[in-house]
Amino acid sequence: MSDIANNQDDFTRSAGRQLAIFALSSIAGIALLMLGLSWASDLTSTGSGAGEAVDAATGTVTLVLNEEPPQLNSTKATDQVSMRVLGHVMEGLLRYDEDNRLVPGVAESWEIGPEEAVFHLREDARWSDGQPVTAHDFVFSWRTAVDPATASEYGFIMYAVKNAEAINRGELPVDALGVTAVDDRTLRVELERPIAYFDKLVAFVTYYPVREAFFEETGGRYGADADTLLYNGPFEITSWVHGASLRMEKNPHYWDQDRVHIQVLDHAYITQDPNAQLNLFKDGKIAYTTLTEENLNEALVQGWHLHRFMDGSVFFIEFNHREGRVTRNWHLRKAIQLALDPAELVYRVIKLPGYVPGESLFPIWLQGVESTLRQEYPAPTAQMDPEQARRHLAQAKQELGLAEIPPLVMLTGDNPISNKQSEYYQEQLKQVLGLDIRIDKQIFKQRLAKMTAGDFDLVLAGWGPDFDDPLTFGDLFASWNLNNRGRYDNPELDRWVRVAQSSTDPRARMDAFGEIQRIQFEDVVVLPNYERGIVYVEDPRIEGMVRRAVGPDPDFTNVRIVEGS
Amino acid sequence: MSDSRSMSYQPKPGVFQPLMTEQRAQMLTRSSLSYWEDAWRRLKSNRRALISLYIVIGLLAFTVLGPLVWTIDPAAQDLDQISTPPGADRSATLVEPYRPWDGSSALPMAPGLRLAEPATTQAVRLLWDPLEGASAYRVYRNIFPMDPGDALGLPLAETFTAAETRFEDRLDLQPRTYYYTVVALDDHGHQLPARDTLEVSVERVVTVREAVSRGLVKAEDNPQPGDAVELALHPLGTDYLGRDMLARLMYGARVSLFIGICAPLLFVLFGTVYGSTAGFMGGRVDQGLMRFADFVIALPFLLFMILFKIAFGIGPGESGILPMVVAMVLLLWPATARLVRGQILQVREEGYVNAARLLGARTNYLVLRHMIPNTLGVILVTLTFAVPNAIFIEAFLSFIGMGVAPPTPSWGSMCNEGIKTMLTYPHELIFPAVMISITVLAFNLLGDGLRDALDAKMRSTE
Repeated sequence: MSDIANNQDDFTRSAGRQLAIFALSSIAGIALLMLGLSWASDLTSTGSGAGEAVDAATGTVTLVLNEEPPQLNSTKATDQVSMRVLGHVMEGLLRYDEDNRLVPGVAESWEIGPEEAVFHLREDARWSDGQPVTAHDFVFSWRTAVDPATASEYGFIMYAVKNAEAINRGELPVDALGVTAVDDRTLRVELERPIAYFDKLVAFVTYYPVREAFFEETGGRYGADADTLLYNGPFEITSWVHGASLRMEKNPHYWDQDRVHIQVLDHAYITQDPNAQLNLFKDGKIAYTTLTEENLNEALVQGWHLHRFMDGSVFFIEFNHREGRVTRNWHLRKAIQLALDPAELVYRVIKLPGYVPGESLFPIWLQGVESTLRQEYPAPTAQMDPEQARRHLAQAKQELGLAEIPPLVMLTGDNPISNKQSEYYQEQLKQVLGLDIRIDKQIFKQRLAKMTAGDFDLVLAGWGPDFDDPLTFGDLFASWNLNNRGRYDNPELDRWVRVAQSSTDPRARMDAFGEIQRIQFEDVVVLPNYERGIVYVEDPRIEGMVRRAVGPDPDFTNVRIVEGS
Repeated sequence: MSDSRSMSYQPKPGVFQPLMTEQRAQMLTRSSLSYWEDAWRRLKSNRRALISLYIVIGLLAFTVLGPLVWTIDPAAQDLDQISTPPGADRSATLVEPYRPWDGSSALPMAPGLRLAEPATTQAVRLLWDPLEGASAYRVYRNIFPMDPGDALGLPLAETFTAAETRFEDRLDLQPRTYYYTVVALDDHGHQLPARDTLEVSVERVVTVREAVSRGLVKAEDNPQPGDAVELALHPLGTDYLGRDMLARLMYGARVSLFIGICAPLLFVLFGTVYGSTAGFMGGRVDQGLMRFADFVIALPFLLFMILFKIAFGIGPGESGILPMVVAMVLLLWPATARLVRGQILQVREEGYVNAARLLGARTNYLVLRHMIPNTLGVILVTLTFAVPNAIFIEAFLSFIGMGVAPPTPSWGSMCNEGIKTMLTYPHELIFPAVMISITVLAFNLLGDGLRDALDAKMRSTE
């Protein structure tokens, strides 16, 4: 017996030795492999030039894109990334400058009257192949945008132009659109109705020009690749590797060469992962990144100079007002309003500076007549009040004839902030009202599809401004607006929206917005959650980056590299 | 006399007894061991396996009995203690509910940047004297004192005008020291050199109403603002919504162990029936059945897992546990079926089976007496190895967001949430990750020990 035991001991010992040798050699092997790989990657990265965030010698600034633009056809673009990219490579009749004022773009002068607007195009506006930008290019792109065959989600933004709405619905032919090229350099626009903010509208991406001959040549692939797009902006895209990188270089044919100080804007990385972006910035690979709440501490430890910016969008809980939905009941909506506290959401759960607790559909930055709209028309707010909320809930149950409110579906996007927010609300509504909330997490496209189909009770939605006028928020819940996903229908609100749309008297319009704000609160059309803020950090070697709530953001067009740092 | 003398010794009865004849040549020193007793004995002598067995029993107790002892609701959000690590200070002071600030000051005036009221986690209210040349102000908050790099920390807000010389900070205030800085801005929003700095120590507070509703103090005690209280105890800390980690780990264990035990039991059972049918019938049936098993093995597992889950049509917010179990059963049985079929094929040709058959044994008898006992070892081992595998799959699916629906926790989804805050609050990732590792390791080592113990061929070595 002892013999066997000894043998076994010997065996175990030698096996252990072998194991140790194996482990050591494998660790050494892995270490060697990693060293080799890092050496190899160094070789390749110096080869492609994507090394430094800011390279003063070549005038290169390296950046990261959150995601790949779905496509860059300006008549169809809807998302923020596409608009950011297009804002660098295209130019409309007007544009926003570094102080966010409206300045001449392709048009050097314009007259806007109650019935028509005339734009005089500058002589030296050129496409990236050297040909001039003409009024015909605008006529073509505007017609394409309202053409029902294009199915642009932003078709409605052209409705200020005569007949646009009818054409978009397919009731009139496309050439009935009220826009004509008087000659190569004069664009005449007939307006559907007097409109106070048409100059702001034409700076929007859907109003950018497209050259017809080039568009036809691409055979339906316009804007799908770097070489199927023609540029008239400060930059042109020289290479676009889908899902990996997008490189812009200075456009030699752009008319205002003086305002572009760098040669290359290299979006060398496309990633949404905030930790990856943080590490890229830490390693000096990119010149700008936004920060999440989780990364703020790290940023403080690193001693970075942080910036804060409100991107102008408002986020809210939208109710489904369709027939047969329990959320159609006013008492239920009121109960939910009284059970939630947006301040707690922002200060305790989201925890990002820059976020402001939501009080109104209209964000705080919108201009009123003399000061801001919200200073002139303070938003009515509700204090969180559990007892009263429960009373409203009891009344809702009574009116609906239900013993219990059935589980409510809360549709939400699949991103970290929405995840936190929906779980917070789920527990909060359970605690205060005993409501059962089912979270339906969907990616953006799917969420939009479900919102349009009305497949929700509550949805965490948001709205960013398209143009610099309160109407961009004010008409959201008009009964005819397709973005009114809950199908809210209130003749009184519709009436005020009509006033805001057609009046040219600033005071009357602002009064209308005040009324819309009051109805939105009293009838609990939506529950504002927060106004979004962004905390970001930029490389100290660059200056002149522009943030804006309306228009392409962030804008690196005017960035210059600071010497000597 | 000599005769009589020789007859004189008469031993007393009982002193000597006749020697008995030896009846038995040898004696067994222990009772005979059955297969199971032997297996158990060998398992007991394997210390690793034994410890693993205790861990598994401990885990089951943690899951089943834990929630009875630690009765905190895993969904309850303690917003005063978000992301607190274990062992954090819990003392707090009761205060009145929050009221909007009208700009008045309760503290004595002092020049420069100053506090209007004592700083609490409810709000820090700052007042300052106008700075030179300012047309607006920006307020920063840092957790470090001013450094040479001139980093001022988090930009909290900007004022619209120079007339506003106050600011109320409510953003995620922790009981610690902050360094506030007010910087003057020019007309274009650029920073001017004029600035003021203030060091602020924040005290943790909780409102009377919250304290009563959370059971920190009793309403009968008539709690008054200013009283000291202890916040709720969270032995393993809290997550990003202030939910108790220990309670979540217990409920998460429920999901993980339910799937980890339920799914393998079902698919091993199915695989056993399938494999033994194929093995016992043989011939064409065997061929057909096993080719189908090969087909199922060839399916890309994770892809089909996700497809199944979608095809089952789980509504929004419904838990994906059952579909996950069904999908696992549908996809994971072929490995067991193959093993069992091989074993049955082998056993079927053994001499004792043939002998039993010649003696007229029925199929039932053959299966119950010979086949099943001889394959049971293999089946049990497959089962113990399948359990950690299933737990791992569940954790993985929950990690990529295909698993359970919130607010139900599972170890995988907890890891997923924890990884986002890995650098700042490591405990949110470490605890669930350690639980997964321990569980998977324990089941693997136990399976290893069982394989050694149940292997009939190793029986003769001792």
